[in-house]
Amino acid sequence: MAEFVTVGRSDEVPEGEATAFAIGDQEIAVARVDGRLYAFDDICSHRRCNLALGGEIDGTTITCECHGSVFDMETGAPENPPATQPIAVFAVREADGEIQIER
Amino acid sequence: MTAPETIVVVGASLAGATAAATLRDEGFDGAVVLLGEEALPPYERPGLSKEVLRGEQAIDEHLVHPPEWYADHEIELRTGTRAVQLDASARDVVLAGGERLAFDRLIVATGCRNRTLPVPGSSLPGIYELRTADHAAAIHEATAGGARVVCVGMGFIGAEVAASLRTLGCDVTVVEVFETTLYRILGPDIGRVLERIHRDHGVTMVFNDTVASVEGDGRVEAVVTSAGRRIGCDLVVVGIGTEPSVELMAGTGLDQGSGIPVGPTLETEVPGVFAIGDVANHAHPVFGPVRVEHYDNALKMGAAAARNALGAGEVFADPHWFWSDQYDHQIQMAGFAPTWDRMVVRGSLEDRSFCAFLLDREGVVRGTVSLDHPRDVRRSFGLISSRVTPDPAALADPEVDLRTLVPAGEG
Repeated sequence: MAEFVTVGRSDEVPEGEATAFAIGDQEIAVARVDGRLYAFDDICSHRRCNLALGGEIDGTTITCECHGSVFDMETGAPENPPATQPIAVFAVREADGEIQIER
Repeated sequence: MTAPETIVVVGASLAGATAAATLRDEGFDGAVVLLGEEALPPYERPGLSKEVLRGEQAIDEHLVHPPEWYADHEIELRTGTRAVQLDASARDVVLAGGERLAFDRLIVATGCRNRTLPVPGSSLPGIYELRTADHAAAIHEATAGGARVVCVGMGFIGAEVAASLRTLGCDVTVVEVFETTLYRILGPDIGRVLERIHRDHGVTMVFNDTVASVEGDGRVEAVVTSAGRRIGCDLVVVGIGTEPSVELMAGTGLDQGSGIPVGPTLETEVPGVFAIGDVANHAHPVFGPVRVEHYDNALKMGAAAARNALGAGEVFADPHWFWSDQYDHQIQMAGFAPTWDRMVVRGSLEDRSFCAFLLDREGVVRGTVSLDHPRDVRRSFGLISSRVTPDPAALADPEVDLRTLVPAGEG
């Protein structure tokens, strides 16, 4: 059964920014846009760059700073090449000042 | 002009395939024909000097679209097909063999060819170039067991090939006509930072020298330079620049050595005929005439030309952006700065982590270059497009978000 796992504090993800958190050996990025949280695989499907680190957020998309791939943070779909494969997305919620991701 | 029924794209490349895809994305339901000389469906070239050359990835992983995608989108992809002549008055493209294809709109993405080494011995077996998947495979095969390689030219292709070959364990010597790596594009200061990175990785560098001849008994054995050096080697990889492939335009006056001239909307002087990607000499609204051989430009010009072929009339004003991956380092550059008067650095050349701003005499940011510091290049697009003259101290201050230096409504 799915469960929510706490990955960090709410204040670690300011409005308009993305922060990477580790769950085991997986790196998951959490972004906040207009107060809403998005959680997705932090590793770009093109050449494995970290998306949260330097990725540019515009609306519900994030642009990888390495080669310009754009992903929809809600669906994980690649919106602009060079990436052609989606990234995984995760359900995310906040409770008691903590960010929790569904596993 | 009336609405097009048939659009022909010459060049089954990233630019050409993107143009074809955009035509369908925009709802064009007429015929789309995509012609390519190579046997493969369109593929992306950045990996040729890196993952494909190193044998880490097959070319299949670099296809622009899966092979079946073209038929699925009713795009007639004709590989192994060479277009030889534009007949502007008949509005036909003539193929090798004489077949004629009528078009209402034509998008030309014929790219470039590599300059070859104009010296004695340059036809010996063991001399390689890099443009196609076949070239990358050939270099990989020749170097897989380790080899002594001379890379001629230390522009981006030479530098990436040298890095990949060192990663494969080859013994690499570079012969470069200028005083350091990437000199023509990045200038001496940044060039030397890259030079040191290559030296740290064990590349032997020979600067201010050119290849005078290649020697060997039936196969490459040594390169002899103008300064008299004799460098023993098993193979030579030549990366000394390109020439635009403009032959299709013979007879139109557009087959120019500087590329096919196109206006701001990527249309040539022949109505309904567009040129994009490496071959297009574009009247850029900010930079003036510029021909760009990079991935992002191919992608964006392909999309823009397709929309304009359908009547959008969109001026192509992209600030231009590219990257180069070498070892575990990445260079990024935006803008167009053939020369500059002043360089302002955010970060440190010494520490190999910086964004450099290339300013003209008036203080306009003409280009930005980063090493392992990409965010600021991507944030400089507005500065470059708006041609504002920011305070150099703000450029140098890592705390200043470059996007805030562009007046609202500009960039």
